[in-house]
Amino acid sequence: MVKRKVAALEKVEADLVNLQYKIRRDPRSYAQEFHDQWLAYDAQRQIFVSSPSTVSSEDTKKFHDLVDLVAHVADLYPELAAPYPDHLKELLNQHHATLDKELREKVVGSLVLLRRKDVIDSASLLTTLFPILIATPSKTLRSLLYTKIISDLRESNSKTTNHRLNRTIQTVLHNLVTSDRTSTKGMWATRITRELWRRQIWTDAKPCDVMKEACLSDNEKVVIGGVRFFLGGDKEREELEDESSDEDIDIKKVKHQGTINKKTKKRQKAYERAVDKIKKHDRKKNAPHPLNFSALHLIHDPQGFAEKLFQKHLQNTKNKFSLDNKLLILQLVTRLVGLHKLTIISLYSWFVRYLTPKQLSVTSFLASLAQATHDLVPPDVIEPLVVKIANEFVSEASAAEVCSAGINAIREVALRQPLCMTETLLQDLVLYQRSKDKGVVMAAKGLQSLYREVYPELLQKKYRGKQATIGLRSGAVKQRQFGEAEQGGIEGIELLEQYKEEQKKKKQEEQALENGDAERKEDDEEDDGFNSDEWEVASTDSESSSGWIDVSSDSDDDEPAKKKRRKEDDADEAPELVDTSTEAGAAEAELNRISKLATTSILTPADLAKLEELRREAKIDKALGRTSKRKKELIDKHIEDGLTADDIELPAQLGKKTTKEERVALAREGKPGREEHKSTQAIRRAKKDAEGKSTTNKEKARKKNFMMTIGKARAKNKRSLVETSKTMRAHIARSKSGGRRRNGV
Amino acid sequence: MGSSNKKKKEKKKDFQKAKLKVGKAKAKAANFTDTSFKSKSIVVNQQTLATDGSDPIEQFKLNLSLAINAKSDNQRRDALAHITNQLSANPPNNPVGTSGILTKLLPILSDGSMSVRTQLLKLLRALPPAEVGPHVEKVLMYVRGGMTHLSIDIRTDTLSVLEWLLEVAGDQTVSCPGGWLKTLNSFGSMLGWSPSVGSAMGNKGWTSASKATLGTKRGPEAQARQIQVLAMFLQTGFKPEAPIPYNPMAYWDNIYRLPGTPNPFAYLNLFGAPRDEDSEMYPDRISRQRIFDVKWRAAISAGMESAKKEGGTIGRAAAALDRALGVGLG
Repeated sequence: MVKRKVAALEKVEADLVNLQYKIRRDPRSYAQEFHDQWLAYDAQRQIFVSSPSTVSSEDTKKFHDLVDLVAHVADLYPELAAPYPDHLKELLNQHHATLDKELREKVVGSLVLLRRKDVIDSASLLTTLFPILIATPSKTLRSLLYTKIISDLRESNSKTTNHRLNRTIQTVLHNLVTSDRTSTKGMWATRITRELWRRQIWTDAKPCDVMKEACLSDNEKVVIGGVRFFLGGDKEREELEDESSDEDIDIKKVKHQGTINKKTKKRQKAYERAVDKIKKHDRKKNAPHPLNFSALHLIHDPQGFAEKLFQKHLQNTKNKFSLDNKLLILQLVTRLVGLHKLTIISLYSWFVRYLTPKQLSVTSFLASLAQATHDLVPPDVIEPLVVKIANEFVSEASAAEVCSAGINAIREVALRQPLCMTETLLQDLVLYQRSKDKGVVMAAKGLQSLYREVYPELLQKKYRGKQATIGLRSGAVKQRQFGEAEQGGIEGIELLEQYKEEQKKKKQEEQALENGDAERKEDDEEDDGFNSDEWEVASTDSESSSGWIDVSSDSDDDEPAKKKRRKEDDADEAPELVDTSTEAGAAEAELNRISKLATTSILTPADLAKLEELRREAKIDKALGRTSKRKKELIDKHIEDGLTADDIELPAQLGKKTTKEERVALAREGKPGREEHKSTQAIRRAKKDAEGKSTTNKEKARKKNFMMTIGKARAKNKRSLVETSKTMRAHIARSKSGGRRRNGV
Repeated sequence: MGSSNKKKKEKKKDFQKAKLKVGKAKAKAANFTDTSFKSKSIVVNQQTLATDGSDPIEQFKLNLSLAINAKSDNQRRDALAHITNQLSANPPNNPVGTSGILTKLLPILSDGSMSVRTQLLKLLRALPPAEVGPHVEKVLMYVRGGMTHLSIDIRTDTLSVLEWLLEVAGDQTVSCPGGWLKTLNSFGSMLGWSPSVGSAMGNKGWTSASKATLGTKRGPEAQARQIQVLAMFLQTGFKPEAPIPYNPMAYWDNIYRLPGTPNPFAYLNLFGAPRDEDSEMYPDRISRQRIFDVKWRAAISAGMESAKKEGGTIGRAAAALDRALGVGLG
């Protein structure tokens, strides 16, 4: 039978795509066609809706195609296709469980497409997808919806923050978590919030509130989701930022390659892309850095939150969470206590049960205890805990690791609240520096050096050290009472003060010189009176105002100069006075000066920048070894940072010598295995052989049968002098002209 | 020399004779391939060795599934032909019932192959008319889907199905939910007389949008046939209802007897989704006339007038339509 010729447009299979293409090009002319297909879509939809479970696969496919077509062109016929989004929403809401997989994906995709074409708004899309995400039993659909929701939220926040949408979604998530505290549905709230936090789309207090509610849920998974967010969410955010800024392109290299390589469209595109990326990168670099607070700082009412968390999940004996999860919760509670200096007295007595060496992951408990300590915790609450640690962990009979972990834990606690220690206990612990194990020795010495700085009276005289003894005698080392706070000030303000003094002196000298010149030249020329050099970083006191007068007037030049000289003399006298007075007096004078600068003048941005610079310099000075080790550590690690089990455990490992096996294992880690001893070359060769790769010319020459080479070698020896020189010349000529193949000619 | 010695040995190895030993199995050849396998289940290609056709019911069902699923056009057509034969036998052999056949076969109303579609129409005509009535709504959905299909052949063949439907169950066709107005919408769109398209494009000026003819080369025959079927549809819709003969027991039957028709309270729409104007049911002549007056009269008369002016087959069909309208509305 001869096949009837079918015009391209009449082919039943392919023409919906074709029609879509034509409609997009000329929507007015193809309105009739669209209307036809719209009716077909409507009929097919009705067939589907009348019996969604028994519909045949052919009908499903037809419906799938029509949904696709209408979704792509719906924005061109807003009146005709007005009910379309509602159809899709209804379909998804009512039949998402029974829909065919592909059709379901198509419907979700079409809704997202409509959103991208601005036919529907984000809020309506998200409020449609969200309930299904929570309700559907299908894993694929869930992952699809999750990605779509996240990407839509990202997109609608890409140009400017869409506060209204964010607020709606955050409220939805909040309600989801709080409405049913026992169900796992809250997981989705935590997942979405965490993802958006990571991408810095949500950075305010509301998502933290959602997570806070998640932490107080009854479901273990939801609770852990929330807790993990607070413990690791900010770190994740920073990591993502670093990652995105990592990839840098060497634009010079790309440009150079463009000149030497063959010019193709592909290379051209690659170059353009690289330029675009660099431009974007630069723009990002110049943009002001977003000031994002950490989630832990954004919590409302941390005291109430920490109390509830502790009572609900830790203190409650009926709680059946696993130990790991309980530890996570404990970490969060103690972190909050340490960071916000909260008071939960019952927390410390709760710890007692867990402070035995046999307790599973006891170092985590120890770290948490240290984290929960701060200077506003009453010492008599912590003291029993310290004593318990000392009794349980620290003894000659216990293992070295246990002992050093105990002393380290005590040191961390004492670092935060030095008053928790009694004299006898401390003296006992310090004596462990005579132990045989290096870890224990180091731990004990650490404790000793800590107390030399914070509370030397507690140590025996011979352990106090030189500086502490001198400090005690002179009164520089003062023991702080419980609840006593350090006097507030601006860090490094004395540095700025000093700097300003120097600058002023320099300027005065210069001015004095200039004035001298001016006096000489006074007869010849007129002074224009305004000197831009005389602008200062900040005007501080009367001296600078005298400078103003000096600038504006021409005639009384000599008078202020005299004044200045007088003042200089005063300044010269002052140091002598200081030298003669006692040190205490000097310290007081220092204090007065500081308060004077901070209270008498307003610091300008230039001042602050200078302050920052000076502070940094000072820090470098300190790091270069002019201060004690412990102080350096403190500089590196802020006291508010969290503490992990590693901080307790690892110091014991420092003095340990590793065995040979361990070292070999460490060296082998991450390297390909080798069965027998072989040279690297041989291994490489074997690998190449296994991959079926060819050998190099050198290798071939080396392997060549000796008998085959022998004839040539003999012949070479028999050559005459002329022949030899001829071949050598030929060789030179050949190498100059690029080898046998004449490369490069 | 190491390498050459080695190679010699290797070469020798190839030609060494394998020694046979008493009481031991012969060594396997170097190119021996192990063809044994393990399987959890055994799949038998042929279910039975007996010749097919032994069980007519199975045969029927097999053909029914072949008619939908077979890849080749001819196979589908043959399967349909087989079913048609079974249905038109005396007495008819139909193990799945009319509803079963309809639910299975309606999706291939818009099949790609012409021969399959014509065979399907033959099959439908072989169905007992009385049993089609309850399924009219469903058939109409497929008909409407086919009427605005991209391919003009499918559109024309679908019209024949509608014609058949009007013949066997005219009353139900025009009075079922969506049967009147939605079908009219499809006709309007098919003929290009739909008023909603122009207004949707914001076409308020004196120029009309150029008409693209994608896949629908409106040949005179095709359009004439469309107008003809439209006329038939309108005729059925406007047919004056025969007065129901007086039945003294009707009142009591209504109260105490179980209704004889399926879904007798369909007009209340108790369980379905709420209907809009288009998918509402128009059960009697007067309501149909009223809604036609409001929605379609102007558009259809305008289209009809222009069709009349074209003359030829189209003109004749339009004249028939005019007559049907005159009788129905006048």
